[in-house]
Amino acid sequence: MKILVCIKQVPDSSETLELNPSTGWITYNPFTVFRMNRFDEYALEEALQLREQDPGTSVHALSVGPERVSSTLRRAMEMGSDCGVHLLMQQDEYISPVTVASAIASYARTRGYDLIITGVMAEDDMACMTGQLVAAILDLPSATSVIRVDHRTHDGSLEVDREIEGGTRISLLMDLPAVITVQSGINIPRYPSLSNVLRARSQPLELVRIEDLDIVPVRESCSGVKSPDSSIQGVYIDGTLREKALWLKELLHERAFLP
Amino acid sequence: MDREAFIVAELQQGRITQETLELVSFARGYAGGRLPAVLLTGRNIGEQAAELSEKTGCAIYQIQGDHLEVYSLEAYCAAIAEVVSERPSALVILPHSSMGSDLAPRLAVKMEAACITAVETVQGKTFIRSVCSGRYTAEIVPIAQSVVITVLPGACPPHTPESCPPGPITKVQATPRPGRTRILGIKEPLHRDSAVKEAEVIVSAGRGVGKKENLSLIRELAAFFPHSAVGASRPLCDMGWLEYGRQIGSTGQTVTPKLYIACGISGAIQHVAGIRGAQLVVAINTDPEAAIFRISHFCIVEDLTTFIPVLLEELKKG
Repeated sequence: MKILVCIKQVPDSSETLELNPSTGWITYNPFTVFRMNRFDEYALEEALQLREQDPGTSVHALSVGPERVSSTLRRAMEMGSDCGVHLLMQQDEYISPVTVASAIASYARTRGYDLIITGVMAEDDMACMTGQLVAAILDLPSATSVIRVDHRTHDGSLEVDREIEGGTRISLLMDLPAVITVQSGINIPRYPSLSNVLRARSQPLELVRIEDLDIVPVRESCSGVKSPDSSIQGVYIDGTLREKALWLKELLHERAFLP
Repeated sequence: MDREAFIVAELQQGRITQETLELVSFARGYAGGRLPAVLLTGRNIGEQAAELSEKTGCAIYQIQGDHLEVYSLEAYCAAIAEVVSERPSALVILPHSSMGSDLAPRLAVKMEAACITAVETVQGKTFIRSVCSGRYTAEIVPIAQSVVITVLPGACPPHTPESCPPGPITKVQATPRPGRTRILGIKEPLHRDSAVKEAEVIVSAGRGVGKKENLSLIRELAAFFPHSAVGASRPLCDMGWLEYGRQIGSTGQTVTPKLYIACGISGAIQHVAGIRGAQLVVAINTDPEAAIFRISHFCIVEDLTTFIPVLLEELKKG
C-alpha cells in the first residue's frame, strides 16, 4: 500500500501571536515556536502502524507552506515516514483551505496513493475540511473523525470506525483509494528513533513549488481578523493568589454549593 | 447578490435536533428575516417533515429513499445536490456536527461553492469564525456565487415557534447510486459514566494540569462538594490519564451541572459544546485570553497547580 500523510505545521501556542494592522492578518513573533499539528501526529502514527502490519507499504509525509515547514517534515521522517514532500507556498497570510487541498490533490493525483490520511482538523484554524476537500477534488470516498482502521488485505478494502456525537461509532467499509481524517486518541504517536533521526538528517526533501501545481481558484477571502468582543467575557477576579482563593470560597458558600 | 438560503436538517434517533432550529434562526438573520427552505433527508420522514413545516413555517424538501436511513456521505451529498445544485446562487447551511463537517466540503466542491466551517455569526454577507483557539475571529467573505457553511451548535438561539401557516412540503425521491462506502453497523459508546451526567458539581481537568499526579488536586477539590464528579477534556482521555467515560464535549458527554469548574481547559469549541447547559462556570487558566474565559461567568487567571492547593487550604478551614 502507498500512503500519503498530510501534515500541517502550527504555532506551539497561540500566546505568541499578534495582529498585524497593515496586513490585517495574524503574524508570528520571534518567540513563536512551530510544531506538528497534534491531530496529524495521530495520522502519521496510524500510517506507520499500517506499514508495520503490511511491510510492502510506503509512507510519504507532505506539508504545504513556507520554508519553515521543512522542520516539521523532518520531524515526520524522524518519526518514521519514508520521505518528506514540501509543497512550497510563500504566502504567510490567510490561505484558503481549498488552495491547500487542491495543491495536495494536484500532487497526489498522478502518484497512485492507495490511502491519504490527515488529522481531523488543524489546532490553529479548526476548519475540519482539508481532507474532505482533497477527497472531493479527487472524487475519492472519504471518512472523517476515524477512530479505528483495519486494512483488509484479503480484499484490499479498508474497514474504519468513525466517531460521531456522544462517542457513538459508525463502522464503514471503504473501497481504496480513499481519504480518511483521524480523530485524536486513535493511537499513541511514537517518539523518533535514533536511526530515523540520523536518516532524516541526510535525506533531502522533495520540493515542489505551488506555482507548478493545479490550484482551484479561491472561492472566499478573509477581510480581517479581530480580537473577540471582550464584552462577552466573564468577570475576572482581582487580587493575590490567596485573595482569589478566598473570593471563590465565599462564592461557593454564597451560592450554597458548600454547606 | 441575494443567495437563496437552505438549511440541512439533522435527525437524531428520529428526532429533529435543537441545532436544526438554531439554523433556522441563523438563516433568518442572514436573509433579513426571510425563512429558509429546509432540506430534510432520510427514510420514512413524513412525520418529521410535517413537524418542521408546522413549527417553522419553512418550505420543506422531504428528500427520501431507503438508502438514506443512516447518514452516509456519498448518498446524502448526491441527494442534497439534486435539489440545490441547479440554483444559480444558494447558501446551504449545515450544523457543525459530525454529519455537517463531513458533508459540507464535498457538497461545496460539487457546487463550486465557497466552503466556510464553524461559523459563529454573520454580519451582512460576512461570516465570522474563531481561529487560533478562539484568540481571534476571522471575517470570511464569499467570492463564489454559492456558499456552503457549517454553523457552530449554540451560536444562535433556536427558532421559537410562532403562529404561522405551515410551509409547503415537496417530496423528492432520491435515486440510490452504487457507492464506494458501505455501512457495517453502529456501535454504542464503550464508556458512559453516569457519574458525570448526574453530578451537580463537575470539576474538570484539561491539558493545563501538566502532570498526571496533579489530577489528585482535581479529585480533592471535587470531593468537597456533595454530588460531584471529576470530568476531563478530550486530550486528557487521549493520553490515558482519565477514562473516556469522563470526557465532556461534542464527542463525549453533554452535561448540565449547577456548577462547572474548568481547570486548565483552553476552551476549544468541541469541549464548550458539552457544557452549554451548565448554570455557573468558573474557569482557572494561566492564559488571560484563553477561550474558556469567554464562556465563563468567573475567570481566575492563575496556575491551577498553585491555586488549587491554596483554595483547598482555605476550604479545609471551613
